[in-house]
Amino acid sequence: MNYSKLYDDRVDTASEINLQQVLTLISRSFRFVKGVKGLFICKLLMALVSILPALAVPWILKIIVDQVIMQQPFNTTEVPFPPFMIPFINMIHDLSPYEIMFSVTSLLLIALTLFGLRAPAAEQAQEIAQAKGFDAATQSEQALSSGGSNANGLWGLLELSLSIRMTQRLGNALRARLMGRLTHLEMTTLDEQRIGDSIYRVMYDAPLMPEIIYRIAINPLLLIISAALSIYLLQFSYGDVTPELIWLAASLIPLTILVTAPFSALARRIHQKNRASGATTTNRMEESLENIAAVQALGGSDKESVRFENSSEESYWRHRLTVALDMILKVIRTCITWIVMAIGFILITDDVIAGTLSLGDYAVLSGMMFMLSENAAAIGLYWIELQKNIAAVRRVFFFIDYTTETDGEYMSIKPIKEGIHLNDVSYSYPDGRVALQHVNLELALDNLVAVVGPTGAGKTTLAYLLPGFIRPSKGEIFFDDQKLSRLNIKDIRQQVTYVFQEHMLLSSSIRENLLLSNPNATVNEMIEACRIAGAMEFIDLLPNGIDTPVGKGGDTLSVGQKQRLSIARGLLRNTPIIVLDEPTAALDPKTERNMMAALKESSKSRLMVIIAHRLSTIREADQIVFLEEGRIVEVGEHDALMAKPHGRYRRFVELQAV
Amino acid sequence: MNDLDTKEALDIKAIFRLVWRCWPYYRPQLKHILTYIGCSIFIGALFFSFWFVADDLIQNKIGIGEPLQPLQAQLLLLDGSYLKGDDESKQLSEAQRKQVRANVVILALTLVFVIFIGSSPLEYYQVWIFQRVNQKLRVEMLNKAEHLSLKHHSFSRTGDAIYRIYQDSATITNVLQWLVMMPLRIILFIIMGCIILIFFSAWFALPIFVSIILSGYVMRKLLPLIRQKSRQSREYNSDLTSRIQENLSAVRVIKASGAEDIMISRFEKESQKALDAAFEMRFYNSVLLLLSILIGMGSFIITEYFMATWAITERATSLGGIVALVGYATWNIGAYQTASRQGAETSLQAWELSHTFSVAQDLTVGLKRAFYLLDLEPEVTEPAQPKMFPVSIQSIQFESVYFSYQNDNPVLAGIDLTATVGSVTAIVGGTGSGKSTLMSLLLRLYDPDHGNILVNGINLKEISLEAIKSNIAIALQQNVLFALSIRDNILYGREDFSETDVHYAAKIACANEFIETMPKGFSTELGERGGKLSTGQRQRLSIARAVLRDTPILILDEPTASLDAETEQRVMKNLTIWGRDRIIFIITHRLSTIRSADQIAFLDKGKIAEAGTHEQLMARLGPYSNFVEAEQGDAPTEKNHELF
Repeated sequence: MNYSKLYDDRVDTASEINLQQVLTLISRSFRFVKGVKGLFICKLLMALVSILPALAVPWILKIIVDQVIMQQPFNTTEVPFPPFMIPFINMIHDLSPYEIMFSVTSLLLIALTLFGLRAPAAEQAQEIAQAKGFDAATQSEQALSSGGSNANGLWGLLELSLSIRMTQRLGNALRARLMGRLTHLEMTTLDEQRIGDSIYRVMYDAPLMPEIIYRIAINPLLLIISAALSIYLLQFSYGDVTPELIWLAASLIPLTILVTAPFSALARRIHQKNRASGATTTNRMEESLENIAAVQALGGSDKESVRFENSSEESYWRHRLTVALDMILKVIRTCITWIVMAIGFILITDDVIAGTLSLGDYAVLSGMMFMLSENAAAIGLYWIELQKNIAAVRRVFFFIDYTTETDGEYMSIKPIKEGIHLNDVSYSYPDGRVALQHVNLELALDNLVAVVGPTGAGKTTLAYLLPGFIRPSKGEIFFDDQKLSRLNIKDIRQQVTYVFQEHMLLSSSIRENLLLSNPNATVNEMIEACRIAGAMEFIDLLPNGIDTPVGKGGDTLSVGQKQRLSIARGLLRNTPIIVLDEPTAALDPKTERNMMAALKESSKSRLMVIIAHRLSTIREADQIVFLEEGRIVEVGEHDALMAKPHGRYRRFVELQAV
Repeated sequence: MNDLDTKEALDIKAIFRLVWRCWPYYRPQLKHILTYIGCSIFIGALFFSFWFVADDLIQNKIGIGEPLQPLQAQLLLLDGSYLKGDDESKQLSEAQRKQVRANVVILALTLVFVIFIGSSPLEYYQVWIFQRVNQKLRVEMLNKAEHLSLKHHSFSRTGDAIYRIYQDSATITNVLQWLVMMPLRIILFIIMGCIILIFFSAWFALPIFVSIILSGYVMRKLLPLIRQKSRQSREYNSDLTSRIQENLSAVRVIKASGAEDIMISRFEKESQKALDAAFEMRFYNSVLLLLSILIGMGSFIITEYFMATWAITERATSLGGIVALVGYATWNIGAYQTASRQGAETSLQAWELSHTFSVAQDLTVGLKRAFYLLDLEPEVTEPAQPKMFPVSIQSIQFESVYFSYQNDNPVLAGIDLTATVGSVTAIVGGTGSGKSTLMSLLLRLYDPDHGNILVNGINLKEISLEAIKSNIAIALQQNVLFALSIRDNILYGREDFSETDVHYAAKIACANEFIETMPKGFSTELGERGGKLSTGQRQRLSIARAVLRDTPILILDEPTASLDAETEQRVMKNLTIWGRDRIIFIITHRLSTIRSADQIAFLDKGKIAEAGTHEQLMARLGPYSNFVEAEQGDAPTEKNHELF
């Protein structure tokens, strides 16, 4: 599979991330912590507390071995107990082995209930609480509600609940932000961006951000504190007996980091490709299902299945590469751990054989060494594991950074009183094709304007300029005397409504679809808008009226019905300027005539711009703008233009009337 | 989608049925699975026996200095002097203990390096196997979705299908582990643990049984809650996926309506709902695990009290002299360590059991959602013995065809229509009169409720779907373009045509004119949904795509609505010449197109109100002539004529 097929997102094609970008991405992720400050502090404190009970476990086991089973008195060896054990030792100091065992058992039961001492880590259980598969997508979904907590018992339950909420809020903040940016992307960018890819970024990339917080701040901090405490305790109790052991334990962390760090760039690349190929798979699925009618009609079902199969195969393979990398690192890590453990074992048993340490001390020391080496290996791996999150988060921040139409400082708009003026406006596409050249035009309120011309003449481009979907490459558009380029895009859209030729409806009820454009509309306003658009006649026939659901993309309605509903939705906004792209193309003549009469009526108080081919539609216009190859060729009323003996418009009309 | 019964209990039978359903997906990987399991068991057993032996060696032999057992000496390649120890104390000397230690360390490191490193590819192997299993299910699901009737798709959301194919299907990879292997492993561990512990003392069976019964009770109470939350979590996430998908595919409208903020707040609301369900599921799960660990570990800690105190009195174990390898005839420190480790391990099984059951909840919910899609019956089915599509097309006949999307709302109510070879039939009528539906029936995207469609007298239902689609081409009203190059869009689904065919088809559709002005010509990549092109351009690409297929039947659904008159006339002229030995249907409003048709079928309220040529129908002064007059408007017709 070649490289270009793998990245089938068109907008985001850069792939390398350097170290500086990594650091930037980390610090940007950390800015989200501000939103969960309280949870963050609580979580950290609770986690710190839960380190402590674990430290006592080896000492309790030592008491069982030395004082109970071996029946030695306290202070047989030189090894002192750590300070926090002293109160307990004092309590059981003079008891018989049976009584000591009873006290120890009670203590263990209490510690089990409170802190889940000696129970399996809660994190491990939570990780697989929801069944996941062997691909990046299903695993990411888990990450959004992951606890990142090792505690257990009642304390652990509380900590876990806090942690999950914190993870969720972090991840949700990022994905909501991303979703917002995506909807605000410029129209030209949206044309290039794949929907499947966007789904992947929102649903599967964004959830990996909270892990960065855990892996950079919380986990290393906890591990280092717990390791430092362990080393301190070792030093306190055994420092005199086996000083080498302390050094050995402390050397583990830098050793793991040193050995695994060179893999980080590779890890990043592997994870990036894994995610890109997952996004491609999502694209394939989304595209073929969304266009299922076309796929089936063209006999493309099998082709789509094969396309999906291939990209799914590819994404699985990419995921296996990440598994292979983990495997290699695990082998390296295990080798280091075992060598260090073996050296530690020799050091400890030397003292046991020499009699300076008891068997209970062996239990304590080997337990601690084991814990330390696990911690050290974990810290050493954080940086590597972080690369996965970096790869994912970069895909999120890429679109958060991408220029959107709301960026920049703009003025708010004054209501339009007179009309729109286009002053020498030109537009060319990003790929260099010229769509409009030197357009000068006056459009007055209370006019019905028809934009007419052959296909590809630039009619839609001209119309797109009015609501600011695209910005002129040259020239300026004025709303009254306000420059459009200086105005806030939200304000512009409050003044201009655009009704598309493709009729995009959401799969909810007709009412919901209408309310989308004006959430405050009353039922009467909705009915009035539907009446003008000629939609009322079919809505009345529907079983549930305006509460009838319309199915996916409005599939249960005919094209003409969808069109009228779209127009009604546009009218409902009640803006001074309305642009309608081919509102009558799919209508039968009777419906068209009714609609045009209604539109003409409602254009008395506003500027209505209509793109049209149908003569019957065009004729109603107060002003006709005739475009050809991106230029305005003629402007005027129908009769005036028809009066020109060799007029371009007249020729256009004559052809149609043949 | 309410496809799951909330009350449905998850009994052994239901689990067995689910596992059985998954079998066909596992079957092809059986060889690999067995190899994998074999390797894993071998390595696990190796490590287990190593620790079993090592514990005794480290504690009793190196630590205290007891002499070795014969087998231990053989394993460590040590001579007979290690079996007796020092003559007086019957203990190993310090040097001997160090020698034993050195050999143990070497043995351990060898084991780790050889076995562990040698076996690490197993993990990769495992991922590979389960990905195969999942891939088979995924592909089958998408394939199913692709072939389901449009009726189904109209009422379901794309995001839901994506979620099922992606997330729900992935649960199949867990079936082997969590529904088969884990329960087996847990039972095995419990039995093994019991045997070993009972060797030490028969009393240990008691706490094991008590803890299993107690955890069983807790599970009965909590599992239904977990299952319910898991289902909610999956449903809400699936809704969220749909929300994103719909928002983005309707993003233009959202922008134009200034509805960005509304959509974002809806997104956030649904997102929060999904997160809450995920949280609650994890919370109940944690409570379950907490309770079962308290039961399991709690009873173990109490048992441990007895183990330790028996070690004080060096009470005889039930083990006696059965196992020569380990010297645990009486309770001592080594026996305590071994029994305690075994006890902890066994009591953890209660926890493992609840854990397995709670994963099983989510797993079965996911699997059911996945299989739901597979279980949907396509309404349009392949005939058992398909007939050939007629080689030379003569006629197409609609015989009193009835159709409705929803039962009470008929779209077509008795259509009778015949079209013969070499003719162009214009289908005309008001919006919503059923024109597009009629043509969908011809493609068998749906089947009629009553009546038949005949091709040369052969019922369409007796012909294979494949043959129908390769003999009928359609240019859709909603010009669907894929995010491919222009060439691939024209070829779509038919890679067997040549570059020349593509150019020829583009020429007939008058699309070559604008394609050639593009910098990359036919190789130009189109954006999402063909967003880069104007509607008229997309329309012409759709026509080119239909023409390329070179089929005997061609359907054009409003092919020219967005074309200017001049282009339209050129396209129509090309098509009429091209279509001489074919049957062409055109759905249209344009008078100029209608007038040139050989036959006009005027649809009204799901019936054919009138049929005939333009002249015949105009003379009749029926609904068609009203329609034409409306299209031409009142006076302007004369006005136009006088300009000539």
